[in-house]
Formats: sequence, structure tokens, C-alpha cells
Amino acid sequence: MNRDVETNLFQEQVNGLQEAHFLVLYWVAVAEDRGLSYNITNCFDDLKARAVTRTKQTATSIIETLQYLRFIDVRDEGNRKNMYITPHGARALESLVREHNFSPQKSFYLEA
Amino acid sequence: MVIGIGGAGGKLAYQLDPKCTVVNVSETEMKKLGTESKILASVHSVRGQMRGSRKDPGIGKDAFFSIREELLHRVEGELVICSTGGGTGNGITTGLLEALSTRERILPADKTSFALILPYAKLEPAEFIDNTINFLQGPLSEVIDSGNSGNIFLFSNRLKFTSRMSESAYNQAIIDSLRDYYAVPEKGEKLDLLDGHIDYEDFALFNAKPYFNHFTMFTFDPAEDYEKQLQKNLNPYLLPPENPIEALFLLEIPSNGDLTAFYDILEFYAEQNVTPVYGVVENPRLKQPRITVSMLYSRKPMELVEDFNQVSQKHTQAKVRKSLEQHVPLPKLEVNLKKEAQKEAREKGANEEDIIKVLQRLGKI
Repeated sequence: MNRDVETNLFQEQVNGLQEAHFLVLYWVAVAEDRGLSYNITNCFDDLKARAVTRTKQTATSIIETLQYLRFIDVRDEGNRKNMYITPHGARALESLVREHNFSPQKSFYLEA
Repeated sequence: MVIGIGGAGGKLAYQLDPKCTVVNVSETEMKKLGTESKILASVHSVRGQMRGSRKDPGIGKDAFFSIREELLHRVEGELVICSTGGGTGNGITTGLLEALSTRERILPADKTSFALILPYAKLEPAEFIDNTINFLQGPLSEVIDSGNSGNIFLFSNRLKFTSRMSESAYNQAIIDSLRDYYAVPEKGEKLDLLDGHIDYEDFALFNAKPYFNHFTMFTFDPAEDYEKQLQKNLNPYLLPPENPIEALFLLEIPSNGDLTAFYDILEFYAEQNVTPVYGVVENPRLKQPRITVSMLYSRKPMELVEDFNQVSQKHTQAKVRKSLEQHVPLPKLEVNLKKEAQKEAREKGANEEDIIKVLQRLGKI
């Protein structure tokens, strides 16, 4: 596969992301930057508090989408599933920040 | 916990929960109730604390400042009950709503719900009507615009007068319906779940939204049109609702009953672009399905005042309109949520460049 095709695929993947995906990528990056672990439950609480979703199923599907696109890593640590941003995810977030009009919102877990 | 402000609010709160907190400017009024938790607001009067606010919300509002911090702390995440006609309930709650409106942001778990008892314009004193109109147009309008309150229940005294009910029977009816509504998450937890789910968290989040709440409960016939049944069974103690913005329902089905009726209800709300929070549970004690439904709607208090006027006789309406003319209409606030969110994000320092710096620090770009 040549580089142009790869780049196009990456850009199409990023263009398909919605605000919920942007927020999860953003919170995961901020958590890692602060040396905190950020798990699926924290993320569900934040999405709920931000009125993005009320259901765990939707939160899980948002997270799984990012995981299958290899934008985040979900690691089993103890009995928690902690999330980490991958280099692809970092590029995706950078692109979302620069080219899409999403606004970051505070994570209640990280700001508490 | 429940907080009752003023005479009427105190009585209702005590009936709903004997462990409630009552707030009043009159010791005499408070002593009538057996509750242990009392907050006495100070009135600067040479006559002492034995008289109430004498239908004057100005006295109640002054007294609010003597208990401001304590009350603001106590109401976090709780239900406040008061009437809008008298002096104490209206005045202290006015102070409370104004204080909440100026707060920066209140977390959903700390939002306060309000059950307001509106007077029946046709037969209650003119002061009650004026006080109510000022309350609806002023502090209530502000707190809704700020988004800092939870649900607001607008009870009306109309049925008490038209059905000639005693005060205690009328109060009991309000309390019974409130109790029934607040039992939704408990039923969701204790009864066998058939579909959907409403847990305590979902219910609390729903109640933390700054809209008017109209709830009702009735025996549900799956063979009949849901909308017709709903219109027939609106809660007679609450003001009728407008088009819902959000909805929640709990459908209780008898053992081995048909649970698929809830799809009709979902479709009814889908037509109005509302996706309800819902739960379907099996209640073996029931012979027929029963539904508890709540709809959140949002209207400017100005329009509510108009509703309020509709129930009054011509002479009262003339008086009300006269007082309305003296009030300055609230300017329409045009808010672009996206721009506001970006502005706020910028103020917090989380702008584009900050995010890029985070990613660079992590060494991932």
C-alpha cells in the first residue's frame, strides 16, 4: 500500500470521528500528560456528565471504535481497563484540533 | 432530604419527610411542626420573631441573608418546597434562586429541585398573585437562564378550590404523587427488569436538568392510543406540560403481561424528537400495566404568567395585567452555545495550542 493511500485512509478515518471521540482522545491525552490512569468507567462517567450519552453501551462503542482504529490502547491493569493514546491517536487528535471545530471540555474525573 | 421554606412549604415538606428541614422567619410557625431540623431566618423587627412575613416577600428576602450560607449548603442536591404566594416562601426562595443564578457552574449532583405551589388566581388574595408574577418573571426566569437549578415542579392550587378539598387532603395528594414519582428508581432496582433501565444515577441526572417537570402516573391500556391516555391522565395538581424536551417513563407490567407496549410509547416520543430514559419492570402485585411518566419542558416564565392569568376571573386578570405592565420585559438573550463553549475553553487555557503541547510532551507527535 503506498503512502498516499495510507494518508487518505487515515484522513477519512479522522473525518469520520465525532465530538464524543474527540473528547475521549482529549481526556486520555490529558490524563497521560498528568501521569494519571484513565479507565473506561472514568470515561463513561465523564461522557454521562457531559450529557453525551446515558448508556454504558454507547460509551463502550465510542471507546471500542477508537481502539479498533488503533487510536487508543486499552490495557488490563489490575482490575481496571486503562486507556492510553497511541501515536496514531495523537495525530488524529492533532488533526481534529486543527481542522475540526470541536471544543475541549473539562473532565470531571481529571479536574476533581 | 427535603427543605420546606415558609408556612406552606414547611407543612408539605414535613408531610413528605418528617426528617425534613424547615425554614421560616416565624418561631410560632416552626413550632407547629415536629421536625427537629429548623432554620430560623432573622427579621429586623422590633416585634421580634413571632410574626411572619405578612405576605411581603421583601421581608422574606431580607431574612434570607441571615441564613444565606447555611441554606445554600443545605439545598445542594435536595428538593425545596415553597409556595410562591406568601411572603416567607417567596422571599427566601427568591434570595436562594438569585444566589444560585450567579454561581459559576453547579455539578448535576448538587443541583436543587424546586416544588413550587402557585395560588389559584380566581379565589386567592391579589397579593399572592402579584408575588407569584414577580417570582416567575424575576428569580425563576434568572435561574432557568443560568441552568443552575434542577427540575422545577409547578403545582397549582386550582384543584383545591374547584374540588373544594381540605388543605390537608390537597397537601396529601401532592405528597402522594411526589412520593410515587420519586419511587421510580427504587422500583427500577427492586422489581424484575424486562427492558431498558432507570437506576438512581439516571434518575438523579434527569432531575438535575433545569427544566419544568410534569409527571403523572396511570393505569395503562396497551390496546388504547398512548397519547389519548396521557392527555386524559395528566397530573391534575401540576400545570399542564408543553411539548417535551426530554422524557422518562417506567412501565410496570403484571406477571406474564405483554411488555411490547413500550415500543408504542417510544414511537410517540420519537415523533417529537425525544428519546426517553425508560425502564420496563415486572410488578406481580399489579393486575393491569401501570405507567409513571415524566416530561421536561421549557418555557419562559412570562408565558407561564399568561397561563396563570387564564384561570383568573376578569377582574383579577385586569389587576394582574396592570401589574405586568409595570414590569420591564426581560430582553431575549441570544447565546451561541458553540462560541460560548470555545470562549470558556480558551479561558481555561485548553485551546488548540495547549492540546498540541500536551501531545508533544508525550512524545507522540
